[in-house]
Parts: sequence; structure tokens; C-alpha cells
Amino acid sequence: MRKIIYLLLFMVSALHAQTKMTNAEASLLKEKVKSQAAKTNTISSNFVQYKHLDFLSNDIVTSGNLAFKSPDLVKWEYVKPFVYTVIFKNENLYINDEGKKSDVNLSSSKLFKQLNKLIVNSVKGDMFDEKEFEIAYFKQEVVSEVHFKPTNKKISKYIKAFHIQFNTQGDVVEIKMIEPSDDYTRIVFSNRIINKPLSDAIFAH
Amino acid sequence: MRYLLISLLFLLAGCASYQQRNNFEKQEVSDKAIINPYFSDVTKDYVYKANIAFYDKSFGGLFIVKKIEENHHRIVFTTEMGAKIFDFSFHKDEFKVNYVLDEMNKKILLNILEKDFRVLVRENEKVISKSIKEKSELFETEIVNKRYYYLFNEGVLNRITRANNGKEKVVFLFSKISDATAKNIQILHKNIKLTINLKSIN
Repeated sequence: MRKIIYLLLFMVSALHAQTKMTNAEASLLKEKVKSQAAKTNTISSNFVQYKHLDFLSNDIVTSGNLAFKSPDLVKWEYVKPFVYTVIFKNENLYINDEGKKSDVNLSSSKLFKQLNKLIVNSVKGDMFDEKEFEIAYFKQEVVSEVHFKPTNKKISKYIKAFHIQFNTQGDVVEIKMIEPSDDYTRIVFSNRIINKPLSDAIFAH
Repeated sequence: MRYLLISLLFLLAGCASYQQRNNFEKQEVSDKAIINPYFSDVTKDYVYKANIAFYDKSFGGLFIVKKIEENHHRIVFTTEMGAKIFDFSFHKDEFKVNYVLDEMNKKILLNILEKDFRVLVRENEKVISKSIKEKSELFETEIVNKRYYYLFNEGVLNRITRANNGKEKVVFLFSKISDATAKNIQILHKNIKLTINLKSIN
């Protein structure tokens, strides 16, 4: 019994390893991320995506590469366990599904345009818009974590919150998109290289 | 009179059962139940890369099936990037929509998907009739007032057909089968332009 109590106490303290930032710490982080984002012309990175559905025994793990080029070109390329690419470009989504190409125009849907913009912005981490989000800042041992809760009801119907983790340089190391049901998609970046020249050909469909 | 006979003959031919049309011979039923083993393991997460083609529209994504407990399954479809498109529960004969994207929230479409996916996850059906052809066995059953025919080749379930008056309406094809899992599943509709292709990724 005593062991269980210790274990529970440990679990509670582990949960609280994340503490709220002071206002000063929060504005420091915000400035750092904003200036880092402003200096970022390109990003190339590997990623691992964990899709968490509460009823599954294991998260669904997919992985691939991300390429970003300023101001708003993003390419998500899944390599494992299937080959699938989606390019966000000029209000269009260009999809290559194992060789089968298609595109989706987002210009007619304000909502999809907004969601699209969110994805592009979250890659850089620069989402500090207090009109659009309720923002909370936390510090952990090494990384910082910021919670962005969309205030727009149409968006919060799809995404309850974005949790973004930043390293000490102010680069995004992890994005977690939480659905209203509390299921989530967690994307962990690795080998993230900033401002490596990326040709437009990478974003060609 | 002759015309009448000919048309009667046509009518009779038109009434041929699904088994007769496919040259199966009826047999005594000795089997108690039809077993569909493909989503029967509670310890497994079944994850498929999916493509749903509906008329000129095509959706890609991940098709996820989980057996929660006996007679209880959850089916979720998400985009490759993880956004949920639909989330259904099948509990005995009950069907529950936990979530569906507004754009897909159409009763007709949900009815079709409900019928299709129910057949995928149902494991144990009562045999109404049995027929054979060479090494193939065809079992007839009824699921929520619709007739279905389960085709086993050398003991392996390869095909389920929903038929009405002997005519195929929906065909489920199972292939690349190993360890009670069908790596490839196709659901083909004969009277509407709807095709669902599933390819296992785990």
C-alpha cells in the first residue's frame, strides 16, 4: 500500500515537472521564437508522427521529411510505412499518394485556409497572436512548452489546442495537435537544419 | 403462347438464386456458424492505408479498426496527417457516430458506410444455406435484413457478397491473407460509384 502511495506521489510530481513561466520568462521566449522565425528562410527536418487514439494499444507511427521555404511553402513527405507527399502552396494542397497525384483548392473555404495557415505557422512556432489564441507558457527541464488554444469556435471544433515545444534556441522540436476528443497527433522533429538552401524544385508537384 | 412461354422462362431464369447463378450446388448444412476472423483479435490494432473513391471524389487516409471487446468494434478514418474524418462504434446491432466531418455528415452516405463496415467487423454469423463448387464453399446468411454470401476457398474467406434477388450489390474482397489478417481489402459497390481500397500498414 505504501509503495502505491509513493508511486502515485511520484506520478503526480512527474506531471508537475512542467511549471508555469513568469511573465518575464514568457516574453523572453516569445521574443526569441519570433526573432528566430524572422531569420528562418528555410527549414529541413526529419519527423516522426505519433497518432494517438485512446482506444488503440499503440500510437500509429509514421515518419518522413519536412521542408519549409519562406514565406509559406511547406512540404510534408511521409516515407514510412507508406510514401505520401502533401505540398502547401498558393492556397492549394498538392498530394502525391504513392504516385497518384491530385490537388485540392482551399481558396473557396475560409476555414481550410485558416487551418492551412495554422499548420504553416506552427512549423515555425510563431503563433503568438493573442486575438486568435489563449496562450499559456510552461517550462520543463530543457525545453519550453507553449499551449495555444484557438479562440475561434470554428477552429476549436477541429483543434482544441496546439502544444509546441521549443529548444533553447527557440526552434520548434515538437508539435502536438489535440482534438476536442483529446485524441492527438504528436510530431517530433529531428536533424532540423535552418537556412540550408532549398530549390523550388523540391516544392514542385 | 410461345412468347408467353419464353418470357416465363426468362422470368424463371431471372429468379435464379445467387448460388445457382454462380453454379454452386446446395448441400446439407452441417456448419453452425460462418467465421470472419479478420478483425477478431482484441490485442491487435488494425491499421490500413485507405482510399475511398466516391463518384469523382477520392479521399486518402488511414483506416483504423479496433476490437474493443466481444461484439464491439471501433472504426476510425483519419487523413494521413492525423485529422479525423469519421469515428464509428459498432456494438452488437447498434451503430453510433462518435464523430463525422461536417462535409461528410450525410445520412445516405452514413447509411452506406454503416452497412459496409458492419459486415467487415461481424465475426460470427448463422448459416442459412451452404453450397459447394469444387474446393469452394458458399454460405448464405442474413445481417440486419440483408442477404450475404460468404465464399471460402480451401477454408479461407476470400469474398463476401451482398446480393438482392440473386444480383450482386456489394462485393468485399479479401486477399494477401496471413495470420488471420487480410492485408488487402476491397469493397466494391455495383449500383453506385463507391470503391474502398484498404492496404494494411502494420
